[in-house]
Amino acid sequence: MATAVPVVEEAEDYSFLPIIHDVIKCMDKESPDVHQELNKLKTKIQEAREQISAMPGIDLSPALQESRLQTLREQVQTKNQLLQKYKSLCMFDIPKPS
Amino acid sequence: MAAAEKPTKEKLLSTLDDIEVLSRELIEMLALARTQKLPQPGEDTQILELLVQRDKEFQELMQTAMEQGRVHQEMQTLEKEVEKRDSDIQQLQKQLKEAEHILATAVYQAKEKLKSIEKARKGSISSEEIIKYAHRISASNAVCAPLNWVPGDPRRPYPTDLEMRSGMLGNMSNMSTNGVNGHLPGDALAAGRLPDVLTPQYPWQSTDVSMGILPPHHGNDFGLEPPGHNKENEDDVEAMSTDSSSSSSDSD
Repeated sequence: MATAVPVVEEAEDYSFLPIIHDVIKCMDKESPDVHQELNKLKTKIQEAREQISAMPGIDLSPALQESRLQTLREQVQTKNQLLQKYKSLCMFDIPKPS
Repeated sequence: MAAAEKPTKEKLLSTLDDIEVLSRELIEMLALARTQKLPQPGEDTQILELLVQRDKEFQELMQTAMEQGRVHQEMQTLEKEVEKRDSDIQQLQKQLKEAEHILATAVYQAKEKLKSIEKARKGSISSEEIIKYAHRISASNAVCAPLNWVPGDPRRPYPTDLEMRSGMLGNMSNMSTNGVNGHLPGDALAAGRLPDVLTPQYPWQSTDVSMGILPPHHGNDFGLEPPGHNKENEDDVEAMSTDSSSSSSDSD
């Protein structure tokens, strides 16, 4: 339950419709807060741009990222197997000097 | 199949720009309609629908971006593991190179040893022969002084001046004055002092004896003098004793 709530909140955060709705409502009421709401909208759009620029891993498309992930997993698996093979090779029995 | 799907960041920024433009248009249209008090035919509805659509797309793209962020973290973890494995493999490679070098050196040295053994085997000499030669070399007291050698003893491990003069070359040049110089062969001097067993048998003397230059009784004609009392011999000894290896310089 606790984990579900943040997800919902994050989804609402990314929507601009509530703010646009507030702007339109203020315009209908001819409220002096129209400008304030407009500024809020501009700020949110700007913040969204900055957040998008800072997010890691979105320079690739999901498909490309997935394929790279698969490649990395295969690499790790192959190298693990290689190391395991070399480490478990027959070692020379060096006789200890008596 | 879509060719080269756009990166998520590009899509997000594009959608955000669309939302910005659409929201601005919608607000301007509503403001204009209010001021002009003219009902818009439905254009604002279209814009609103587009805006809702774009907003929905934006939210989906943001969810995708969050998921990609988590995948990116996993990829970073995997990259670190790959780096660590690479480092382990390089370490093993280095150890393998070292082992190869050590083994190559050992094999080379073993081969050289085998060559030496083969060479020695081909040129092998019987131990009896070597011992025989050793006896011959040491019999002339050339490697070690005789047991009863004392400072003043005229015997040397090399032919002395006296012995050279009493040899073939000396006799050839002194043919006319034979018997006058009074030189005695070295072994004649020692003959009166030493038993025959210990008499030095120099290789050059064996040749002289075989040539029959000096019959042994001639040494007796001149009389036997103890070593060191013949002045000329003494001079010879003294002259030869200037050598650092000689120890008879203070024989008198």
